Amino acid sequence: MENQFNNLYSVILDTYPMEGKQLTKIWKFFEYLKEGRLTTTKCIKCGKVSYPPRILCPECLSEELEWIDLPTKGTVEYFTELKAGVPVGFEKPLIHAYIKLSDSFDILSKIVGIKSIDDIHRGDKVKLKVFDVPPIPAEIGRDKISIDRVYFAFELDN
Amino acid sequence: MKDACVVAGGQSKWGYRDATLIELFQEAGKACFEDNPHIKPADIDGILVASACSERLSRQTHLAPMVAEYLGIKTSSVCARVELLCGSGSSAIILAAGMIKSGLSNTIMVIGGEKLFTPQRWETFYSQLGSVDHDWDGAQGLGLPPSLLSIVFQRHAALYGTTEEQLAAISVKNRRNGLNNPKGQFRKEITLQDAMTAKPVAAPLKLYDCCPITDGAAAVILTSGEAAKDFTDKPLVKIIGTAQATESNSISNRGNWTTWNALKTAASRAYSKAGITADDVDVAQTHDCFTISEVIEYEDLGFCEKGEGGIFAEKGLSDFGGKVAVNTDGGLLSCGHPFGGTGIRQAIEIAKQLKGDANHQVEGAKYGLTHNFSGAIVAHTILIYGRD
Repeated sequence: MENQFNNLYSVILDTYPMEGKQLTKIWKFFEYLKEGRLTTTKCIKCGKVSYPPRILCPECLSEELEWIDLPTKGTVEYFTELKAGVPVGFEKPLIHAYIKLSDSFDILSKIVGIKSIDDIHRGDKVKLKVFDVPPIPAEIGRDKISIDRVYFAFELDN
Repeated sequence: MKDACVVAGGQSKWGYRDATLIELFQEAGKACFEDNPHIKPADIDGILVASACSERLSRQTHLAPMVAEYLGIKTSSVCARVELLCGSGSSAIILAAGMIKSGLSNTIMVIGGEKLFTPQRWETFYSQLGSVDHDWDGAQGLGLPPSLLSIVFQRHAALYGTTEEQLAAISVKNRRNGLNNPKGQFRKEITLQDAMTAKPVAAPLKLYDCCPITDGAAAVILTSGEAAKDFTDKPLVKIIGTAQATESNSISNRGNWTTWNALKTAASRAYSKAGITADDVDVAQTHDCFTISEVIEYEDLGFCEKGEGGIFAEKGLSDFGGKVAVNTDGGLLSCGHPFGGTGIRQAIEIAKQLKGDANHQVEGAKYGLTHNFSGAIVAHTILIYGRD
């Protein structure tokens, strides 16, 4: 990752979330992600499912939330490739697809593992792909620790 | 309640500029004072500065007192920065109007702009990962929104039969309108064929479907109806209706992709506050960051029926001599889009149109409208202007 910034002046924005229980209250999302599970929070009081996961239900303001699994497989409805302005840190081709994961849940996600936009079609089946991203060198009190991180995209499910 | 009137407006040259953010603000402020020599810095008691990227791209926060100092303004009523990405400028005008109508301020300069080439363009693409929900949409590489708008167009085309040629008609119109604008980024006419054969940015959206990256700033001065009469003999341009609506922020939580319900909510409220309907609007500056945006804006602002935005453009109904002239100064597609400056640039053009001073005049224009959306098509900001 560091090499990507060679020869660029040093203005770095972290493109991934704060992960790890030292830095976020929704750290379980990332722990489940490491197990290949895509999860989110559901309000125990009113039943509202929120995505992205929360610490507060936006419907009833309850803090009593539970983790539930979302589908990890879905169908491509629309897709495109960003040809100009691909952000530093993202590999080309940068392809995004609007994926139907269930009747009630859609996601606009990056598609990884294909070499060209020609390799993806409407109606293709896709599945969750979890990958490592650069760790966070965090200062917790006087300690300097490295927090491992993962993130996700989708890939073709052949 | 007092009236809030626009009594001066000016902008820097927009484009790829040999100037820092604070220099762009100085150019815009100077142009604004030159537009109305009866107003001096000492007449200004408040300043609102609209800028979305000053920390990331110019390493500068606490911007408002700095801009005030550089323009010789000493404030006593309000001095703050306003941020809503692409809607920053219009948000600041709404807040300034509220301050003036309530009597908390007398005369406010609203000034906005960005330095986006700093000096390399890649940093803007990268920094905009923080303008959507950073941890969820930014981490997917969805910062600046060509990919999102590509999918909006594909869905609009599937539902209503909107075509790439209809989008191209909008690029041709807005580029033609931009020929009259000496401060805009692009002053070059394009043909339908240029637009249709341009390289893809996020297919099917092509180069001329997308607004550019721009450095620039713009400023307006607002004051009360009584004070305005001391500053100008021209017809007074008043802010008569405003609205700002959102429904959600994360891309996963957006409702309808092809009917922008927050835009309909904002339009309905702004028309109601102004006491007019969509049919009364003579001239509009809408947020044409992409051609497909302008199509959906015609529809959801009520200029045409749902699904007929593409035909509306194709028939020239959004051009001079049509039903409502849209983006008469060239819009974002020609002028460029320094986020915090855009809403103010729109206000300047509407004020000129209503005073009868525009470079390309809509004859007898009485009511003008500006619209911005910001983020992942999330917040919609509308102002309606009327003249005496």
